Amino acid sequence: MAEVDLKTVYDAIVVGSGAAGGMAAHVLTSHGMKVLLLEAGKKLNLDQELQSMRWPYEHPRRGLMRPNRYALSASDYQNETRPYGQGNRFSRYTAVHSYVQGWSGTDYSKNIVVNEKENPYTGTPYAWVRARCVGGKSNIWGRLALRMSDFDFKAASRDGYGEDWPISYADVEPYYDKVDLYLGIAGVKENLPYLPDSIFQRPTKLNLGEVKLRESLARTGRVLTPYRAGVTTDGLKHNKYRSRCFGRGACGRRVGGCDIHAAFDSPTGLIAPAMDTGNLTLRPNSVVCEVLTDRSSGKSSGVAFIDAESGRRYEAKAKVVVLAASTLESARLMLLSRSRLYPNGIGNSSGHVGHNFCEHIMGPGVTGLVKERVGKPPTLDDGRPNGFYVARFRNLSERHPNFLRGYGFEGSSGLKMFPDTNQPGFGAKYKKAVRDHAGALISMGGFGEVLARYENYVDLDPKVKDKWGIPALRFHYQFGDNEKKMAEDMVVTAREIFEEAGIEVISTRDKYLPEGWSIHELGTSRMGADPKTSVVNQFQQSHDVKNLFVVDGSTHVSAACQNPTWTIMALAWRSCDYLAEQLQKGNL
Amino acid sequence: MEKHEGQGSTRREMLKVTGAAAVAGSLAPALAGAAPGARTAFFTAEEFTLADELAELIIPADDHSPGARAAQVAAFIDQLLHESVDAGVRSRWREGLRSIDALSRQLHGVAFMQSSPEQRVAVLERVSQNEASPERPEEHFFRELKSRTAFAYYTSKVGIHEEMQYKGNVAIPEFVGYDAELLDRPK
Repeated sequence: MAEVDLKTVYDAIVVGSGAAGGMAAHVLTSHGMKVLLLEAGKKLNLDQELQSMRWPYEHPRRGLMRPNRYALSASDYQNETRPYGQGNRFSRYTAVHSYVQGWSGTDYSKNIVVNEKENPYTGTPYAWVRARCVGGKSNIWGRLALRMSDFDFKAASRDGYGEDWPISYADVEPYYDKVDLYLGIAGVKENLPYLPDSIFQRPTKLNLGEVKLRESLARTGRVLTPYRAGVTTDGLKHNKYRSRCFGRGACGRRVGGCDIHAAFDSPTGLIAPAMDTGNLTLRPNSVVCEVLTDRSSGKSSGVAFIDAESGRRYEAKAKVVVLAASTLESARLMLLSRSRLYPNGIGNSSGHVGHNFCEHIMGPGVTGLVKERVGKPPTLDDGRPNGFYVARFRNLSERHPNFLRGYGFEGSSGLKMFPDTNQPGFGAKYKKAVRDHAGALISMGGFGEVLARYENYVDLDPKVKDKWGIPALRFHYQFGDNEKKMAEDMVVTAREIFEEAGIEVISTRDKYLPEGWSIHELGTSRMGADPKTSVVNQFQQSHDVKNLFVVDGSTHVSAACQNPTWTIMALAWRSCDYLAEQLQKGNL
Repeated sequence: MEKHEGQGSTRREMLKVTGAAAVAGSLAPALAGAAPGARTAFFTAEEFTLADELAELIIPADDHSPGARAAQVAAFIDQLLHESVDAGVRSRWREGLRSIDALSRQLHGVAFMQSSPEQRVAVLERVSQNEASPERPEEHFFRELKSRTAFAYYTSKVGIHEEMQYKGNVAIPEFVGYDAELLDRPK
């Protein structure tokens, strides 16, 4: 266990070491602040865990987990009782994991994601994917790095639904730039007002099917752009812990993870450089269970945490507490922090903590056949996190009759290590069909905005507790009519897009995936100008407790349809600059 | 013509198996297709021979690359079944292999491994006829057999390198960007 001086009053305690917590650690230590970073999970040797270039046949089960581990399926999430993984059916398994472990290659991420048995939650069905280890989900994220625009920050003004953010694109733009330059992002400039460009390094390459689709879409003013990846393709001179991308094939292995760290992850992108400042102390295995309050000032005095291995409770003190434990864990922690001063949980005088919970609906999509590629010699189409992104096109200038807001498509074409084996029959004909079609498939699926609604929320379960005796979260969350209509449009439109491009549709996925599947949960401590209807201000500072900040996705006012990681990090950077300045001025 | 060649190669493979199976019979538990001296962990020697033959029929050697036998597909399936904590899947395999034999006896009057190559293909054609929506137990078994065979084959050295000639999972010395000219060319 890391030796940590718990008598010290740190300048700041950061709870959680993923993209948000890593960014907070980086920014605060760069301002010379002494920071204690607490992570609930272990410190793993990630290069050893991931083994990105290991061939399937070099693994005893070709990448599959041992059979005493189980991964929940989409139907499990709908049909099994909550908490998941606790019934008789699961007693034979030593560990039950979220659905991401059901993909091939999963033996490489089994220590990164949590065991559901130890980390229960209750309420409505929800696929909650959690990674407890230093770096959290950033170790295995999908790497699509997108900016939001005023179409998103000011969406309420445009269509009358919900609340505007208390900030605009101009406020965040300089911080998106900083994130781009510090961490590296690959992509192509498209000059779209609704999907602003980043400061891009070299893009990955589109293959034939993808170019065909891009050109066809361009005829209707829609944009398919190479996957905007949070990957450094040119390298980063200022970071010795990360290599530039070498286009290796294992990038396509799911769950993700990059053992040369060309893809951004918090441990090498943010935490290791922060450690080099001499200002950072990292304590893994520290399950924070309460934000402590100083009764006389009403300010936060630090946090209490339980050592994940010994079960002992400790307290750590700081001038400022920064929550970055993820959208749902940060909300849980605030709700857990009840005191005489804050009977509904710290920072929750508005009653909005846990509410306005939103995310992305995903799944509907289409697979097609690029005829020109059938039977052609193999090409190298792998070595990228994904192929392409189709930018949002709904409700930009015209108003869709059935739903508000928009969605984008993620997809790819070309040869992968494991071909599509769903050809009918058997024998030489089957074998040849698999071979001939392997490089000729193209598929894409939609990611759409789930509207933030007060009535979608989480609270604490009155009975169920996790392995460390901490009350579990209880979900009250469902997709609404707007999302379901949007999902219908995704399928119909995806089909049209393929047909217009001369791509034969061979299958469609009509049904959206269960709630939570996108792993983009947002909104449970939203920002706003009004302390009665929001939890934090535009600098992610609690309206109630001025030395408490929440810098993860929980502060997002609306989900938009862009993958949130890049925005989470830009906002965290902005807020931590403000935090450091205010601390220096003696305002916290 | 192509079909004829395919059958020829299948028949040659058949002879090899028959020879190996005969040896296996005399030197049990050494097994056809498995590494020399290897023992099965779950399959009996007879089950292994049958599973190995079924896998090879699904993904045969052809003039492009070796098939499931050379990729030791049956040995991998044997290992997975041995390790499984799901007793249901093990009994489904045992019953599934038995149902193949039963169908062979019903159609041709002999056990599957005693039947001719054409008769073996006929049995597989029968069990795969409702592949998209299987009903009978042996039809369900075909789907299980085929999906495990495909997984084992296309994750093997033979499947990845010889059959698919996969070009990736190598560090590319110069990472080149996409072809901007190709994308931006005027329409």
